[in-house]
Amino acid sequence: MSAMLLQINDLITRFYTEDGVVNAVDDNSLYLNERETLGIVGESGSGKTVTALSVMGLIENPGRIEHGKILFKGQDLLGKSEKQMQEIRGKDIAMVFQDSLSSLNPTLTVGEQIGRVLRFHTKLSSKRIQHRVVELLKQVGIPEPEKRATNYPHEFSGGMRQRALIAMAISCNPALLILDEPTTALDVTIEAQIFELVNRLKEEFGMGTILITHDLAVVANSCNRVIIMYAGRIVEEALVDSLYERPLHPYTRGLLNSILRLEEETQGTLFSIPGEVPDLIDLPDGCNFSPRCRYANERCWQLDPQLEEIAPGRRAACLRVNDIDE
Amino acid sequence: MIDAAMNRDQLEETKLGMRPHRGLLEEFWHNFKRNKLSLVGGVIVVLFFILGFLAPLLTPCNPVKQFDALRGEHNPLPPLSRSKEGHLFLLGSDKFGRDILARALYGTRTLLELAVGAIAIAFVLGVFMGAVAGYTKGSWLDELIMRAVDIMLSFPTLVLAIALLGAFGIGKTHIGPIVLSNMVKIMVVIAITYSPRFARLMRGVVLQEMTEDYVAASKVAGASGGRIITREVFVNTMPPIMVQASLMMATTVLTSSSLSFLGLGLQPPRPSLGIMLNEARDFLFLGAWWYAIVPGVFISLVILGFNLLGDGLRDSLDPRQARRVQR
Amino acid sequence: MGTYILKRLLLAVPTLVVASMVIFLLIHIAPGGPVRVMLGPMQDEVLVAKLRHQLGLDLPLYQQYLRWAGKALHGDLGISVTIQRGASVMSLIVQRFSVTLEVAFLSIVVALLIAVSTGILSALRQNRLPDHIARVIALLGVSIPNFFLGIMLILLFGVYFLKPWGAGGFVPLRESIGGNLIRMLLPAIALGTAYSAIVMRMMRSAMLDVMGQDYVRTARAMGIGWASIVRKDIIKNALIPVVTVMGNAIGYLLGGSIVTETVFRLPGVGNLIITGVFRRDFPVIQGIVLTIVVVRIVVNLIVDLLYSYLDPRIRYGRGE
Repeated sequence: MSAMLLQINDLITRFYTEDGVVNAVDDNSLYLNERETLGIVGESGSGKTVTALSVMGLIENPGRIEHGKILFKGQDLLGKSEKQMQEIRGKDIAMVFQDSLSSLNPTLTVGEQIGRVLRFHTKLSSKRIQHRVVELLKQVGIPEPEKRATNYPHEFSGGMRQRALIAMAISCNPALLILDEPTTALDVTIEAQIFELVNRLKEEFGMGTILITHDLAVVANSCNRVIIMYAGRIVEEALVDSLYERPLHPYTRGLLNSILRLEEETQGTLFSIPGEVPDLIDLPDGCNFSPRCRYANERCWQLDPQLEEIAPGRRAACLRVNDIDE
Repeated sequence: MIDAAMNRDQLEETKLGMRPHRGLLEEFWHNFKRNKLSLVGGVIVVLFFILGFLAPLLTPCNPVKQFDALRGEHNPLPPLSRSKEGHLFLLGSDKFGRDILARALYGTRTLLELAVGAIAIAFVLGVFMGAVAGYTKGSWLDELIMRAVDIMLSFPTLVLAIALLGAFGIGKTHIGPIVLSNMVKIMVVIAITYSPRFARLMRGVVLQEMTEDYVAASKVAGASGGRIITREVFVNTMPPIMVQASLMMATTVLTSSSLSFLGLGLQPPRPSLGIMLNEARDFLFLGAWWYAIVPGVFISLVILGFNLLGDGLRDSLDPRQARRVQR
Repeated sequence: MGTYILKRLLLAVPTLVVASMVIFLLIHIAPGGPVRVMLGPMQDEVLVAKLRHQLGLDLPLYQQYLRWAGKALHGDLGISVTIQRGASVMSLIVQRFSVTLEVAFLSIVVALLIAVSTGILSALRQNRLPDHIARVIALLGVSIPNFFLGIMLILLFGVYFLKPWGAGGFVPLRESIGGNLIRMLLPAIALGTAYSAIVMRMMRSAMLDVMGQDYVRTARAMGIGWASIVRKDIIKNALIPVVTVMGNAIGYLLGGSIVTETVFRLPGVGNLIITGVFRRDFPVIQGIVLTIVVVRIVVNLIVDLLYSYLDPRIRYGRGE
């Protein structure tokens, strides 16, 4: 079995806003092994990105990490200084955000921006860095890499920019790669290409990967394990196949049902989970999901379910998990 | 170090479906009230308007009355001194023995009259031109108006005003049978100078509004062109225009007081804050600081008030600023 | 970038032409006609006719314009009629232009140095004490009219501190560099303060905008040091809109120098135009306004050039 790369214990991250306190990450624990790919799935506001930012140490005012341990290769990241974290970011742990036109500095060439990361984290000479940049661009599948390295971001298409961002992230061979909705803004065909690229890179470099997305379908192809988050809490955890085979949490079921399957007949209306994501400042009593859950009973409205181990590697936070059957 | 982008996104994601939806106007008013600076600005502006409006009531005496004047000029007296007849000069007297406070009050009145009049004319002219240009976007009319605006804007405001006044001359102007008082003339000159800015602004705002969904919906519903622009678009273009109007009041006051300082504005003996500053120059070395400080402070405060107000209004409109968080 | 510059140049020419037409027409909107105005009370009909012919005012309007414009292109801006009879307007302007230029130049240099550094500092220490102080000073700088500021400076340095250079006046450079520069100090401060405040506010707001951009987030996530981020991501991008403001505000400086020269009694072009207005010397007024407009247009072109150099999106146009 591979070693534990990342271990998050009892993480609590809060945002203190003018309107109230937001419990963005509400006492969550998770882990990632080397060479493993973990998918974190949830809607906007579920806390998935904040979790990643907490790992990266990029939570700033008005947010604060209140409690917990984040162990990376055995060391607690929360105890590290900003300077120490700067050395880790981009080098040992790298994060790729959703592309937008402004993810890259418009006044620097793409080559300069990737090169900057290398300059900060390695002692390579300028010449070697230049070569490496071209090499990286080639690896992520950008045609004419030498020419492209001297281009500015606005001369790249959306898909190419995303590849460039990935190139930046893997430039120093990080042990952990975090991808936050890498393809949400892209066409489906480009999306497929990007995932093919990521899978290939994972194989080649043996990175542990966390893939954050709201799209369960994407997770099926790329991940080993999946975590489902809702309103700041983890509500289910399983191996990918197990999850698809037998989802435990009502929310997970809802998500799976919302995916249109081409093979099956679709009769009647499209399925969507009724209701809206709750206001994180004003969470409902009892189970966070209860207002929208069709299995919710009296207990659910009153008691807050804890995340429990139902089977080895299988966790779910639902009071009725044993009662519900399809 | 505040990492705004990071947390802006997270904040947006984590605060969903919560606050009751506010309309633009309500949001605007709510933010405005919270912004201390703009309130201060508003108070200052209102205060000076009151001073100007009530000048005839508040004034200690007639602003052109010369106390102790034997022949022409004499030395200005400091604040809280008395004339030979016993009149108390609260803020001192000027070179003709006139009460500085009285002159300052009336000066404020005329300054504000001028500024409001000029901005009103500029507003009407500019907004009309801008709306027409925006609505007929791409047509020869649009091009014509915008070229004219560009050309007007290539003249610095003060220079243009000076040139126009240079052409029309100082004092009353006779154009055929029409007699324009000096004040009106200056108002018109300043209005001409500032209307291009309104025009350009209005056009930009109109164009932006036209791309909004509700305009397309209106068109689909069959509303005629005129209806679209006057009713819905107009209401939504007003907030940014109002912000600019306030800020332009500040520059208008600056320009008109500069003009009167240069001697191109209202002519003596009409009290004008700018002229007072001009006259004060000769008496600085005699120690008559009040002669310059009083009108200068009045002008500065008025401009400051409009600037604070305008800044505050602008910040209230900007949704990013509005969602500024504590800690 | 070449096409961009060419387009701006092409746009500038008709603007200049039409502006010159407007300036030309200035004379003719004077009620009663320019000649009567210039002659003042001596309204002898014969004299009026003679003067009209001499100044070419009996020709059709468009011909007059062409004559005037043609001469202007050769540097002949006419003859002064009341200020200094017979003297060429151009020579008067040239004589005094260096003074105006010197004050303007000094104001800009000092203003920009202060504005840019303060703006950057203010943004980096947002909402803390240095920021609040800077913003208050900037607000005052924008609100206090430059003539009042100039007078207050005179009061302070000339009257209370009894400095001889505090009262205004001018000493040519060839006479004494020190004497010249010290007398430029107060005018430069009076003129440059508002300009500085405008640029500083823009710099601060541009910096804050940029700090919220995604690429700053990307750089941070890659472990890039804050110093490098401030230099290469924040300031580099914030300068782009600031350069535009720097250019636009030159218009304010051009007008402001007229006032400043009056306050400090400097023999510059600004002073001259005021005298021209009082003495109804139209050629002088026209000549100076034309010069100012030309300067403005040229400055705008330079700013456009600078802008396109700083922003690769303009320089290299739309890619892919």
